[in-house]
Amino acid sequence: MSDSKYITLISYDGFEFVILREAALISETIRAMLRGPFREAQTGRCEFGEIRGPVLEKVVEYFHYHHANRDQTDVPDMDIPVDICLELLMAADFLGLDSKPQMRDIS
Amino acid sequence: MASRNRPRPIRRPLINKEAGGFDQCWATLQSAMTDIHNKNASKLSFENLYRASYKITLVKRGEDLFNKVKEFETEWFHNHIIPGVDELVRNNLPSIALIQMTTSSSHERREAGERLLRGIRKIWEDHNTSMNLIADMLMYLERSCAETKQASVYATTIGLFRDHILKYGLKDVDGSDQPFIIMDVVIAVVLDLINMDRDGDIVDRNLLRDITGMLEQLYETDEEKENEKLYTTIFEPRFLTASEVFYKAECEKLLRESDAGSWLRHTRRRLLEEEERCVTSVSNFTKDNITGVVEKELVLAKMDDFLAMEGSGLKAMVDNDREEDLGILYQLIARIDKSKSTLKTNLQSRVMELGLEIEQTLKNTDFSTPTAAGASREAEDGTEGADKPKALSPAAQQTAAAIKWVDDVLKLKSKFDTLLENCFSNDLVIQSAITKSFADFINMFERSSEFVSLFIDDSLKRGLKGKSDEDAEFVLQKAIVLVRYLSDRDLFERYYQKHLGRRLLHNKSEIHIEKELVRRMRAELGNHFTAKFEGMFKDMELSKDLSTNYKDHIRNLGDDDRKSTELAIHVLTTNFWPTDVMGRGVLQDGDASRADCIFPPSIKRLQESFYKFYCQDRSGRVLTWVPSTGSADIKCYFPKVPGKDSGPLSKDRRYELNVSTYGMIVLMLFNDLSDGESLSFEEIQLKTNIPVSDLTKTLTSLSVPPKFRVLAKEPLAKSVKATDKFSFNAQFVSKQIKIRVPVISSTSKVEGSEERKETERKNDQTRAHVVDAAIVRIMKQRKELSHTQLTTEVISQLSGRFKPDISLIKKRIEDLLAREYLERMEGDTAAYRYLA
Repeated sequence: MSDSKYITLISYDGFEFVILREAALISETIRAMLRGPFREAQTGRCEFGEIRGPVLEKVVEYFHYHHANRDQTDVPDMDIPVDICLELLMAADFLGLDSKPQMRDIS
Repeated sequence: MASRNRPRPIRRPLINKEAGGFDQCWATLQSAMTDIHNKNASKLSFENLYRASYKITLVKRGEDLFNKVKEFETEWFHNHIIPGVDELVRNNLPSIALIQMTTSSSHERREAGERLLRGIRKIWEDHNTSMNLIADMLMYLERSCAETKQASVYATTIGLFRDHILKYGLKDVDGSDQPFIIMDVVIAVVLDLINMDRDGDIVDRNLLRDITGMLEQLYETDEEKENEKLYTTIFEPRFLTASEVFYKAECEKLLRESDAGSWLRHTRRRLLEEEERCVTSVSNFTKDNITGVVEKELVLAKMDDFLAMEGSGLKAMVDNDREEDLGILYQLIARIDKSKSTLKTNLQSRVMELGLEIEQTLKNTDFSTPTAAGASREAEDGTEGADKPKALSPAAQQTAAAIKWVDDVLKLKSKFDTLLENCFSNDLVIQSAITKSFADFINMFERSSEFVSLFIDDSLKRGLKGKSDEDAEFVLQKAIVLVRYLSDRDLFERYYQKHLGRRLLHNKSEIHIEKELVRRMRAELGNHFTAKFEGMFKDMELSKDLSTNYKDHIRNLGDDDRKSTELAIHVLTTNFWPTDVMGRGVLQDGDASRADCIFPPSIKRLQESFYKFYCQDRSGRVLTWVPSTGSADIKCYFPKVPGKDSGPLSKDRRYELNVSTYGMIVLMLFNDLSDGESLSFEEIQLKTNIPVSDLTKTLTSLSVPPKFRVLAKEPLAKSVKATDKFSFNAQFVSKQIKIRVPVISSTSKVEGSEERKETERKNDQTRAHVVDAAIVRIMKQRKELSHTQLTTEVISQLSGRFKPDISLIKKRIEDLLAREYLERMEGDTAAYRYLA
């Protein structure tokens, strides 16, 4: 069955965010999640056991911002409120957003 | 959110040591790995697993995790994979090539081999898939591994596969203690299948490709260095060795059973096959190596043997114009050897052989009948108008031989030109090799200069009148080609001068074609070479003008004397014309033939008159009449013979005889005789002062052949002796009014051997002078030179004319030393200085 265009990211406190699949694939982790035979790939829903709602919200916003401006240069940084920045950092680390997207070969 | 100024403390969900501890995480991961290996992963949540490894990494126990994973995999291999492999191998083992049992058919072997390989392939693929998933799972761990420079999980697990499966030794397979390494088994099976493929069996090539692909992805160590792929380090060498063995055997078989042509085709096919195999069955990396092996074993190893084969080897290919074979041979050799040296040497020797064969054929051909020499060549010397072919005179035979030689050489040349174009794609190396061989054998043949000139002579005399421009062009080109090959150009020049002289004087060829040919020769060989010929042309034109002018002059003098003799004159500049034409040839009796012969008075008057005319515009010139050339038209009146009433003798006969100058002088003598009187040979000789040999020839032509017997000879024998008597033959009858008594020197015949020696001697003399001049010129310029340098200079300067002998140069140097043109340098006897 073909993959749907949108996937759902769910925080541990129950907030659900629907986002374009393509946009979310910047994250290495989400990419790994969605390939392979795992449950997430089948349902198109990713649950994150350690990310809070507001933090995930910011992450999703980032995905969207990145995707919208993907072809442009010199894009100004997104606005990040100071009080969630630590948690956001950890979430980014978890999701593999701190490095440039690399493709890995699956033989 | 109340305050936005301070970061909020991080609140993690409940972590207690137990729940998020190492062991629990590991337990989760372990069970997940088992599920993955069992293809049961769909129940799992990736995020859980990822988070588990994440947590472990955060507490800095990543290394432990890593080791645990390794342990798990190793154990998995041992307990779950190896038994399967073991069974696979054992089941198929009796048929596996490793033990080389020949009792099984190749079909069984193939089936068994393929089964084994399929099994291995499946294991590999499964492993690969699982490992990818596990690596994903441990992605967080890997990211931190990358910072600490440990090998990646994936690489490590691949390495585990290599170590625990491929390098695993199956024990006790055939009762011996030697373990069978699985990898060896696999590779052996692969090689066996490849060999079967080569023999024409159908094997599963995709399978082979997958296996070799697997080997390409495995490395010797976990560091995955590029040049340490198992494929390169283990598979490829064995593949190349096995292929070498295979092709060596195949080559032997070919040598025993088939011929060079099929060898070539077979080799070409194999090369294409192997290249294809690199795409379908093994990796493309191997392409150069394997084609190298094929080239070495099939092409190079036994090439000499194949080429030497009777009936199909290089000799036969060339002789029978097997262009396809030669083309393939050329392509194959070009692959392995840029200089194509074997082909080159073989061709060269073949050319030499064929060239020398031509000479041999020449000796063996009997030219005595016209058909042997080619039906189109007519005999000279007296068989004009003959209806049935008579035997050719020896001179004509020799000429025919010359022409045949040239024809054969040209044919050989055109054959090789075709081969060069069609098979060797005009390769320059080969072209120059062939040219050199041609030059070699042509120059080895002593009479080549003479023969080439004769060939040109014959073509120009014979057929170019009336031929189209194209045909003429063709012949000219061929002629120039031959001249180019000759190295003794001065000898050729000498012969050509002689033949050209004869042609011009007897008007035997078209002047514009002659000029064209000389023009081309000039372009090829340089001005000095053709200067004489051009001088000869000019002389001819001038002479024509002179004759016309003289005629006008005489007419204007008013003496319309019907008895005066018409004069058509050729004035020849001495240096341009060949010496024997000028009457300075060598005679057997050693006399100079230009001793003045006594002309009849009417002729003498004519000569003086012309001389006066000639000197009107020019002063200080000496004209010398050459009686050995030239001809005269004489009107003869034979009165009817009294006593005969019927038949031709009963009538008056008037004929116009065309005879040589000597003939004219002799015949005029008989005008003063009364009937019945005769002159003896000696008397004639005294009265005319014609040299004896020429006189003999002249009298023979006038008295021996019945057609021209205007003089009666006593005795009637065929040969003329000094004691013979000659008289006017009143009974001479001829069907024609105009009779041309053949002039003996109008044909350019092949020289007898004494003549040739003489020509060569004269040529050598000239060469000595030329070398002298060259040495002096060089030394004058350079002042001081060493012996070797001088020699080299001389040779290179004279290369356009001939190749000087080293000994000749040495002799000339010594001569010049004696004549004090040069002196030896003090202290260095091998160097010379120019003395002004």
